[in-house]
Amino acid sequence: MGNLQDYWASKTHSKKDLFEAGQNLARLNAGYELAIVENNALKGEITRLENLLQLPSRPNYRYEIARVVSRDFNSWWQRIEIRKGSIHGIRRGDAVVFTGGVVGRVSEVGRSTAIIDLLSNGRLRMAAIIEGDNRPMSFRGAGAKTFASPNGFAEFVPSDVKITDPERPPRLITSGMGGIFPPGLHIGYITKLTPGANGMFNDADIQLDNRLMGISEVAVLIPLNPRNE
Amino acid sequence: MNPEEKLRYQSRIWLFYALVVVLVMILLSGLAYRQILQNDVYFERGKIQNHRRILTPGPRGNIYDREGRLIVSNKSKFSAVVFLADASVRRSFRQEYYGMKNEFQERGEKFDSNRLQIEARGNVIQSYLDDVNRMLGRETSINASRVSQHFNMNPLLPYPLIDDLNREELAVLLELLPIEHPIQIYASHTRHYPYENSAAHLLGYVRSSLLEPEKDLKGGDLRTFSTKGTFGDNGIEKEYDHLLQGKTGMEIWVVDPAGFQVERVQKQPPVTGKDLHLSIDMDLQRIVEQQFEVYDSKGAFVAIDIETMEVLAMVSKPDYDLNDTAPFLSFTTAKDIGERGAWQNKAMQGLFAPGSPFKLLTAVAGLKAGVIDDDTVINCPGFLRVGRRNFPCHNRAGHGDMDLEHALSSSCNVFFYTVALQIGIDNLSSEAIFLGMDQPTKIDLPFETNGMLVPTKQWKQERKGQSWYQGDTANTAIGQGFLLFSPLQMAVMAASIGTNQVLSYPSVLKRTSEDLDKLPIPRSLGLPEEDHQLILDGMKLAATSGSARFLQELKGEKLPLGGKTGTAQVRVKGGTLEMAWIVALAPIDDPKVAIAIVVEGEEVGASHGGGSVAAPMAKPFFQEYFNKHPELLPAVEEQAAPTTASNL
Repeated sequence: MGNLQDYWASKTHSKKDLFEAGQNLARLNAGYELAIVENNALKGEITRLENLLQLPSRPNYRYEIARVVSRDFNSWWQRIEIRKGSIHGIRRGDAVVFTGGVVGRVSEVGRSTAIIDLLSNGRLRMAAIIEGDNRPMSFRGAGAKTFASPNGFAEFVPSDVKITDPERPPRLITSGMGGIFPPGLHIGYITKLTPGANGMFNDADIQLDNRLMGISEVAVLIPLNPRNE
Repeated sequence: MNPEEKLRYQSRIWLFYALVVVLVMILLSGLAYRQILQNDVYFERGKIQNHRRILTPGPRGNIYDREGRLIVSNKSKFSAVVFLADASVRRSFRQEYYGMKNEFQERGEKFDSNRLQIEARGNVIQSYLDDVNRMLGRETSINASRVSQHFNMNPLLPYPLIDDLNREELAVLLELLPIEHPIQIYASHTRHYPYENSAAHLLGYVRSSLLEPEKDLKGGDLRTFSTKGTFGDNGIEKEYDHLLQGKTGMEIWVVDPAGFQVERVQKQPPVTGKDLHLSIDMDLQRIVEQQFEVYDSKGAFVAIDIETMEVLAMVSKPDYDLNDTAPFLSFTTAKDIGERGAWQNKAMQGLFAPGSPFKLLTAVAGLKAGVIDDDTVINCPGFLRVGRRNFPCHNRAGHGDMDLEHALSSSCNVFFYTVALQIGIDNLSSEAIFLGMDQPTKIDLPFETNGMLVPTKQWKQERKGQSWYQGDTANTAIGQGFLLFSPLQMAVMAASIGTNQVLSYPSVLKRTSEDLDKLPIPRSLGLPEEDHQLILDGMKLAATSGSARFLQELKGEKLPLGGKTGTAQVRVKGGTLEMAWIVALAPIDDPKVAIAIVVEGEEVGASHGGGSVAAPMAKPFFQEYFNKHPELLPAVEEQAAPTTASNL
């Protein structure tokens, strides 16, 4: 009886009313679809922010979280640009990190943007140590081949450092002695050792974190007591 | 022009053409000769003109003790350097020079262009150095003349600005110094001795000198620049320099007409030298050195593993810190070491009267000559009349009746005077010569003394122009008179007597079984077994209750040792100095290790006996030796289990 009543009630609506109802329904559906996309984007954002929150607290620095706005991965430059600059306290030379370790170093600073030389950049040099050792060596970026991992190159690697287990190669971390990077940040793994120029040390090929090539958020380490240069 | 003139003209033209053709042919053939036939020659000449070779020394190998402890290594050294031939540096030199020149000209002042060049270069390098000083908080300055000298003499080699960067400074420069900065980080190496003055004489040191590249190293005909290499100057570093020496590395650069580097065309990295494993045990070495340090004594000590003839420890005091010789030995350091008398390795270069330990050899000679045996008893009244002189025993009251065992234990002079006089100096000297005491031991270390002396009648006649007297024989019998030996020889002598063999060729390198197979089979000393045992028993008695008892005088401890002490007297201005000796064997029943120690008396006329001075200093060596070799200690008899009754 109820169904019959509804049928005759609908039959009494004009075509115009039905079109309007259909259009309203389509709008609603589109709104829901947009909300789903937004929800997914927000979920991703939340995940990234949660990851950034995993960065350990450092008493001598504050983190300035910044979004990557462009990447320049040609064979020489290996750079990214972030949407934060001098008005956020970022200075040339500041260390840039992410949850996977070192990202690179600020090389140019604009008012609200900054250019970062990635670890794989040939102009970036820093002091590094092997995890569990305290002898500093020199790390330099070595670019990245197309579709391949970013690479680095280490000099002054003590000759007693060996790759005994290729599954667990020696890990290179920041020394903390140079004053720019805090100690213990991941740089990469030693994949190959070759005799160095003076016979006393080895040179090493360093495999860097693949995520460097697709990183979307970074944290700039801003010293609380800036150095005088 | 008539036809005749025309013909003449044409013939001259043809002649001219022919001349031109000939000249062109000469030119072309000359060109072909130079370009094709002599191509190789000119190519080589061109290469020599525009190629330069840079040599880098290979690091020396490490040295380890017998238990694998690193005792000599290379220490990395980081420097801040500038390459003066770098194009940007040279550009800065020019800019600075012209800037300074203009200033002079504007002021209307005269200037010396050479002096101005030196100053300009100095200013530029100082400005670079100021950057580094700012980063490191240093206040280093350069010497402008040296910069220019280096620029003119060694443009391809780095000029050191700061030579001793520590780890923190290195890290700071790596992070703060831009990669393109003219100042670069340069790594080199220097010898490092973690045990400082331990075994200093044995290990030796290195000196810096120009590299002598291997003959097969490429570019031998090129103009070569070379940093200095290091070469062993003494001890192991010298003896095994050929093994320790690294292989020289090489780079060949194309240079511009001014001699500045353009492009590297060849590179051969240096190779580290071979590692050495020594026979020395640093635990044993250190323990004896500490004894000398505790008693503030001078002297020497040698311990030998008898089976392999490996030297376990070799001490010579005074000594010096080997790290003071690296990276170079300064005149002040050398002078100081010289003034302290610390250069000499007394263990194998020092010559001492052997004193009473030589009585062991007198005993061997007496037994072999058949003048004594296990039944021989000689009365000691406290002296022996030889010719017109009384030769005293150290026990002036006399030892009474002495057999060989007790004579060795009590170190009775009269017993050995008597034996030597019975066999004669010819027999005694021959026995010493048979044991090789007149020759170096042929240890694998440089500069072993060859001044040792086993006197004979002929020697005395030739050297002193005098006849041999009975008194000379008596003196020789107790290790006095003309005898001179090194402590190393005395240790080898003890090893020989301990094993009834004539041993030699001690080694400071750990010997492999192949090395041991290559050693000559030692001759027998020639003592019948029972006679040999008599000597060992005498030494055992000496270490148990005789003159060498301080070797093992510890409550409840009886190490299986045998020893022979001695107190050699040396005449000096104003009296005599005493040299305290002991030679010892362990375990005495089947000797595995032989030692000799001499401790120099420094006060004229003061008592400095082997039993009271040398024996206590050798004791810790044996304690440590048996700690490492408990299997050599006699088995402790198990005590009977307490009975029930006793428990009650």
